[in-house]
Amino acid sequence: MVNDPTSQAIVTFDDVHLTYDGAREVLRGCDFTLRHGDFRFLTGPSGAGKTSLLKLIYAAHRQSSGRVEVFGHDLAEMPTADMPKLRRRIGVVFQEFRLLDHLTAFENVALPMRVLGISPNSYRDDVVELLSWVGLAHRIDAPPTVLSGGEKQRVALARALVSKPDLILADEPTGNVDPVMGEKIMRLLLELNRLGTAVIVATHDLGLVRGLKQPILRLKDGKTNLHAPIPDEAAKEPAE
Amino acid sequence: MSADAEPLAEVRSGKTAIIPENGVSGASLALVIGVLAFLAGIALTGFFAVDAAVSNWSGELTGSVTVQVRGMTAEEIASGADDAEAILLDTEGLSEIRRVPRSEAEELLEPWIGEGNLPQDLPLPVLITADVSPELRADLSGLRTALSDKVEGASLNDHSAWTDQLIASARRIRALTFFAFVLVVLAASSVIVFAARAGLAAHRNIVEVLHLVGATDGFIARQIGNRYLTLGLVGGAGGALVAWLSTKSLAMVTRDAGGFLPAFSIDAKTALWLVVIPLLLGGLSTISARIAVLRALRGKDAYVA
Repeated sequence: MVNDPTSQAIVTFDDVHLTYDGAREVLRGCDFTLRHGDFRFLTGPSGAGKTSLLKLIYAAHRQSSGRVEVFGHDLAEMPTADMPKLRRRIGVVFQEFRLLDHLTAFENVALPMRVLGISPNSYRDDVVELLSWVGLAHRIDAPPTVLSGGEKQRVALARALVSKPDLILADEPTGNVDPVMGEKIMRLLLELNRLGTAVIVATHDLGLVRGLKQPILRLKDGKTNLHAPIPDEAAKEPAE
Repeated sequence: MSADAEPLAEVRSGKTAIIPENGVSGASLALVIGVLAFLAGIALTGFFAVDAAVSNWSGELTGSVTVQVRGMTAEEIASGADDAEAILLDTEGLSEIRRVPRSEAEELLEPWIGEGNLPQDLPLPVLITADVSPELRADLSGLRTALSDKVEGASLNDHSAWTDQLIASARRIRALTFFAFVLVVLAASSVIVFAARAGLAAHRNIVEVLHLVGATDGFIARQIGNRYLTLGLVGGAGGALVAWLSTKSLAMVTRDAGGFLPAFSIDAKTALWLVVIPLLLGGLSTISARIAVLRALRGKDAYVA
């Protein structure tokens, strides 16, 4: 059991508090553990702190108190210079895509490779394969400005995956795409999870949560609680 | 292979700049760098011109001495001049000993008394010039004593009284021109630092994405800094070229003025330094931009999405 890699914690939150500007406390004692191969929906109403929680994981923010461990590193004690190495093991997908408009779909996906100084010859096939996997082989040289919302999100997903991360964080990945495309993106994330990558998807779309039947990390009043997958009937209740 | 295969291959090669060029603002900045390069070129040319003048004056004036022999009668002066010339000939370290003919001495007086107004029986002092070696120049006291002891009315002039002042003044001007050059280079560096910070703020969204995908601050600083290398090289080359043309035309003006203006020329060393200016500004721009970006990013959680 000790040597089983799937038992190793990727993310551990221990009584984590986060306060903005010394006044507005968003997280009030979050406790949870995410292990290799886990899939979690992170739910909660708008403003509950879902994005803030994700930002703590990829070290865009630092907690006010408590302990955040990612890949075994206590982020409070991690030197700033080591943060890039940590972020290379995490793929992040945003609701607003965050693609670079002056680069093509191919170049956006290849960006993490260029950052690592890898030769284009070494990653060209991987990038093309990834774009094919998300169904965008025909849009490989298109800039984001001519892509639809769903296409942009799939490019963003491919960019998050190109460096083969151990953890994918998706913040409202279906927020700016139509329901059909949203489900397609979620299926891709689930498929990725089946291949062993841990995934956290922040969403307030209970229909989506119901459809995929995965455990839920519910954020309420600044605290996290782990719930079993929502039964179909429960999803018919009003959204949070 | 389709007709558009080549452009696609180019796009996929990963050569597109991660941080895009600034366009119009980039051109404006190149112009500013060009103007500063021009001023740096002028300051540097002035520095080398004064430096050359100081060297020439130092060499010409401190490398020679003049003996003046005065007396009440022409015979007395001629006899004294013979004795003084003999002493000079016997002195080691002197060469090119030459007695200035009376005709030349009269020419020297013409501006004050007019041509042909000098009585032939007026006992003019005799001037004897000689080149002096650096060793003898270091201590002329022995020669001065020998002349004053053995030749009545003889005096030795090594020009030090006014050449020292002239050279000291020229050296101050030289220091001033170099100071001006340094100030211009510092101004160029400050402009780049300002531009790099503005560029960083303008491309904040890109920098955030780069951080997100694991870029180090050094990588981002290189991406921004490398853009200023081209800018510094192009702007610097343009400014240095205009500076070279300007000083070239100035050299032609001083040459055509027929001695009214001090002679001014561009030697190979100066021309070489004008070539160095774009390289200097290119390197300085890159380093300044990188440092500015690193300082803006380092130790902060800013620019992280």
